[in-house]
Amino acid sequence: MGVVSKRLKMNSTVVPLPKQTPIPATVRDAIATLQMQYVHAIDDDRIERWPQFFTEKCVYQIIPRVEYDQGRLIGVWFCDNRAMLEDRVSALREVNVYEPHVYRHVIGPTEIIDHADGAYHARTSYIVVRTMSDGEMSVFSAGRYVDEIVVDGETALLRKRSVVTDSYRYDTLVVIPL
Amino acid sequence: MTQAITARAIPELLTWPEEGITRVPMHVFSDPELYAWEQDLIFRGPTWNFLCLEVEIPEPGEFITTHVGDSPIIVVRRKDGSISALVNRCVHKGSIICHQPKGKRTRTHNFVCPYHNWIYDFDGNLTSIAFEKGIQQKGGMTADFDKTEHRLTRLNVETINGLVFGTFSDETPPLREYLGPVMVEHIERTLHGKPKILGRYSQMMHNNWKLYIENSRDNYHPSLLHAFFSTFKLNRLSAEGGTRQDDKSWHHITFTKRYTDKGDAAYDSGMIRAQKEDFGLKDPSLIDQWMEFPDQITNSIQSIFPGFVLQQVMNSLGTRQIITHGPEKCELVWTLIGLEEDTEEQTYVRLKQSNLVGPAGLVSMEDGAIGGFVQKGIKGDLDKRAIIEMGGKSVGGMPTRATETSVRGFWKVYRELMDV
Ligand code: FES
Ligand SMILES: [Fe+2]
Repeated sequence: MGVVSKRLKMNSTVVPLPKQTPIPATVRDAIATLQMQYVHAIDDDRIERWPQFFTEKCVYQIIPRVEYDQGRLIGVWFCDNRAMLEDRVSALREVNVYEPHVYRHVIGPTEIIDHADGAYHARTSYIVVRTMSDGEMSVFSAGRYVDEIVVDGETALLRKRSVVTDSYRYDTLVVIPL
Repeated sequence: MTQAITARAIPELLTWPEEGITRVPMHVFSDPELYAWEQDLIFRGPTWNFLCLEVEIPEPGEFITTHVGDSPIIVVRRKDGSISALVNRCVHKGSIICHQPKGKRTRTHNFVCPYHNWIYDFDGNLTSIAFEKGIQQKGGMTADFDKTEHRLTRLNVETINGLVFGTFSDETPPLREYLGPVMVEHIERTLHGKPKILGRYSQMMHNNWKLYIENSRDNYHPSLLHAFFSTFKLNRLSAEGGTRQDDKSWHHITFTKRYTDKGDAAYDSGMIRAQKEDFGLKDPSLIDQWMEFPDQITNSIQSIFPGFVLQQVMNSLGTRQIITHGPEKCELVWTLIGLEEDTEEQTYVRLKQSNLVGPAGLVSMEDGAIGGFVQKGIKGDLDKRAIIEMGGKSVGGMPTRATETSVRGFWKVYRELMDV
């Protein structure tokens, strides 16, 4: 299967395998640290750090749950390498026009489902509360991160993150990554 | 069949400025009574409203639910392959009949209201009433109640290139006549194959629906509000542009073309790989494209009155449908489409370029916020008027993008339908 056809099939669901071998504590720690640092970097407005949580060849997408579950391809956001993530960061800093706002992510514990193709497959629930500059707050997004995570020693990096949003409706705009 | 049942008459609500369509009274964007009249005279008036894509309901019995303005609608494929559109409101107590976004009626070709199980066929006829004759000769409907006098409101339906439109009014001209040849030709050109859905999402906007529709016809703003193309030096992709309208200026197309002085014939087929040194992007593969259209048009936005947009942003094709949510909110439903004929590589290009559009679109995201900026700005100044004089005072196509001619076109139709 060519690279393109492989990528076009990317939303197939990973079926949890019965656990054979326990996952080493170092791996669990590395993944937990990644999850924590990822959301803190975004919430603290250190977005420049965000692309560095990914491997150079990677996939980052935001897609509604109904779309993801029926294997549709396109959501609201799709990057297939780290340079594209960096372009997103420069766009939000220098180009895009929007009312200033911040996110607060709250994430649940990560469930590591499988180890396949050299990566840990995992899922984590999240909620993002958005606070606008005038103080208005709202639940902006809730859903799950469906991840493929590569662990090397103490470092874990995202090879793929699908942000699967429970709602297919997005309020105003999505300029800051989830 | 009215929403304006408690609204005052329009002359009491709105007097159009003497200047005509170059001025728009701000309170049309916030007045709840005018909003109610718009539901009756525009969305349920002599207009064609986008309902769905044919490919969403290919098989008999398949249905989707949607809205025309505020009105809930069921669109269903009949046994004979034709399409029926019905108001999704039970004649008994007014409950929604279909509460799923989509589905299929396989065994029986009818809809059953969940509340008291009244049953309708796909043409909207009321065919059965639960306990109509009572239980053991007790109760039941009165003897003089005639089922045939009650039915679901039915819309007239027509399709063009896989797009399904519906109208409430028998006065509406046939779809192709309503669109006019310029619009028909452009739809046929953009949807040049068999459409398939690649993705769908919606965007909630904190503004009156008309502010978004004005925006979709406003070709004055893109290079000014949306800085993505200019910042990353992508302007060269689309140098020449213009505006087209139908004869009556109800609808609009804005388009940009590649430079035509650089031997573009070489680009007629195959991929155009963007070179890093030419652009400010770290990864210019985002804008890899192929010249999909022989007319060399790289971007076109087609806005069909009242609430439908057909988009081509490079190779990103899609539909946008406006759904009203009260005077100060509206929802834009985006459906990104590919063609059955696409190669896998072309599908991948459409996927990459999906980053340009939608609520997270590098080029388009500002459109989700700008209407809200206007909605906030006009508060307290509802007696003021917007100025719409860029490119003159009249309507009609123009060989430039420095014009608001199609925004004036919108207000021309608006005044005709609202009779102001
Ligand atoms: S409301 Fe539909 S059957 Fe009663
Ligand atoms: Fe725009």
